[in-house]
Amino acid sequence: MEYPKSHKHIVKELLDGKFMLHSDPLYQILKDNRDFYEQFFKESFNYELRFNNDFAFLLSTETNETLSRDICIFFALLSYEIDRDGRNFIEEIQYSEWDMERINQYFDNTTYIELVHSNKQLRDHDSRATFINALSRRNIIEKTTEGRFIFTAAYKVFIDFAAELAKNKVKEGMID
Amino acid sequence: MKAEARTILYFLWNHFDLLNELFEEQMQKGYLRRESLANILKKYEHDVSDKLHEYKILRSINEDFEIRPVFFNLVEFVQNEFKPVLPETIEKYGFSITNLFKKIKEGINGDKEILIKRIEDVLSEVRHFVESIEKNTTKLLQETRALKSNIEKIDYREKVHRASGWIEHYIVPLNEILDVNQHGSLTNQLHEVAYFVNLKRLDFHDENVRAQFEKLYSFLIQTNDDLLRQSKILTNELLPLIERIKTESLILSGWIEFLRRPYHTEVPRLFKTSRENTYQRNFYLVAKEYLEQFLVDEPVMVEEVTAFQQRWIFNRDLYKAKLEAKLPIEDFFEWCGKTAKKDFHELNQEKFFSLVSLIFEDDMILEADKNAPHTQLQLEDAILHVPKVKIDKHGIS
Repeated sequence: MEYPKSHKHIVKELLDGKFMLHSDPLYQILKDNRDFYEQFFKESFNYELRFNNDFAFLLSTETNETLSRDICIFFALLSYEIDRDGRNFIEEIQYSEWDMERINQYFDNTTYIELVHSNKQLRDHDSRATFINALSRRNIIEKTTEGRFIFTAAYKVFIDFAAELAKNKVKEGMID
Repeated sequence: MKAEARTILYFLWNHFDLLNELFEEQMQKGYLRRESLANILKKYEHDVSDKLHEYKILRSINEDFEIRPVFFNLVEFVQNEFKPVLPETIEKYGFSITNLFKKIKEGINGDKEILIKRIEDVLSEVRHFVESIEKNTTKLLQETRALKSNIEKIDYREKVHRASGWIEHYIVPLNEILDVNQHGSLTNQLHEVAYFVNLKRLDFHDENVRAQFEKLYSFLIQTNDDLLRQSKILTNELLPLIERIKTESLILSGWIEFLRRPYHTEVPRLFKTSRENTYQRNFYLVAKEYLEQFLVDEPVMVEEVTAFQQRWIFNRDLYKAKLEAKLPIEDFFEWCGKTAKKDFHELNQEKFFSLVSLIFEDDMILEADKNAPHTQLQLEDAILHVPKVKIDKHGIS
């Protein structure tokens, strides 16, 4: 059987839980062989390949709920604090270069401090640094230079979730 | 007869949903109307109205009821649901603290018991004061976040109206109470108390009173930190409320809703990585991929397993005896060669040197001519050049 070029690499990256970004040369190979890979992951592992113009990623029936929840809390707090700071949070997440100092400043001074302290991955500077590394392993952030990083398009998975949640709440007419 | 403490706590645990519903009703209406109580009780399988009275959870007010403050406060605390208190209510703590402080200063040399009681009362009033401030800021944060999130989809004018109400009646007056830059603020009064208490905890002549001052001082230090935190919430988040509600975003509304109950909301699915185990359904493919690596046509060397051979062991005692029987021997190495050939049917290094090792036996007397030429000895696996060594006789004999 003839496999597409870099087949092993593509499979490994996706099975490692990475978001395969548009900027990655492997993304183009994946895109050119989209039907094959959808079938390949479905039949080999029963995984679903999600694909859009910015990135591709795998979904399994089992989910890493803890990490996903922590990422949601992270983006929720960050968005809230950037907005409180009088800035456009979408622009800041999309275009700004970040460092741990700025992240820590937001998380140390948030009014959601009890939530921060109760979360193992976000509670202090060390755990936040480890958490950022976990995001890097998944390609949710991309490290630039000297401990700085940018958010990749993968943040949209979580931002879309927030928008969907709000829409559902409005629909439910959930009023406190 | 009063019920056992554990029985009451067990009752609370067992009927918490009911109690919570009664709590929410009272939060909204201020009390429990007879009909509302009956309707809520009807929803539950067991009629526990008698117990609610017996355990003194409810109190009658004419025809209606209320949850007794101690239970109300408990639910309020565990649910983190507070009713905001008007700042003028909080200000009363300022009066009582000032009053008690004045009395402490006046009666500093008076009755010791009364002095201790007053110090305890100041501590208790400060505690109540901080608690009401914390409750208020918590509730104000909840309300203002809800306004920012605007899930109710109220229009901008109404939002500003509500925000102005919060700011005017709660946020600004609360800020005045906490503002260290305002001379008469309660925070400044507490600083004054702390300064005096700090001196007295060090120099008061009575040890018991000194201990009380010490306790109050530690509490005031902690209070100062707590109030600073609350003040920061007010200035950073609540006072700029009008500015903050100007912008509205669906995403931010979603995040605010999510943060209300972050551990009770379904989150996006995220791929779970795993190690390869033999019982996984994908193991076949992983193994296949691994084995396919070896499907390349390369020469393969197969080494045959050699049959088991019994290891040869040199019988030292036997050959020592043979050597002794032959003494004197003119050429020791020649003897070794001949014996190996004769007895072992092969002359290799292992056999030859086993015999040679007999030369090191303690009681052998050796003679060798240094100038005599060496002779060549051909073994199966080596060629040796050896001198002529004579063994005269056995040393002992």
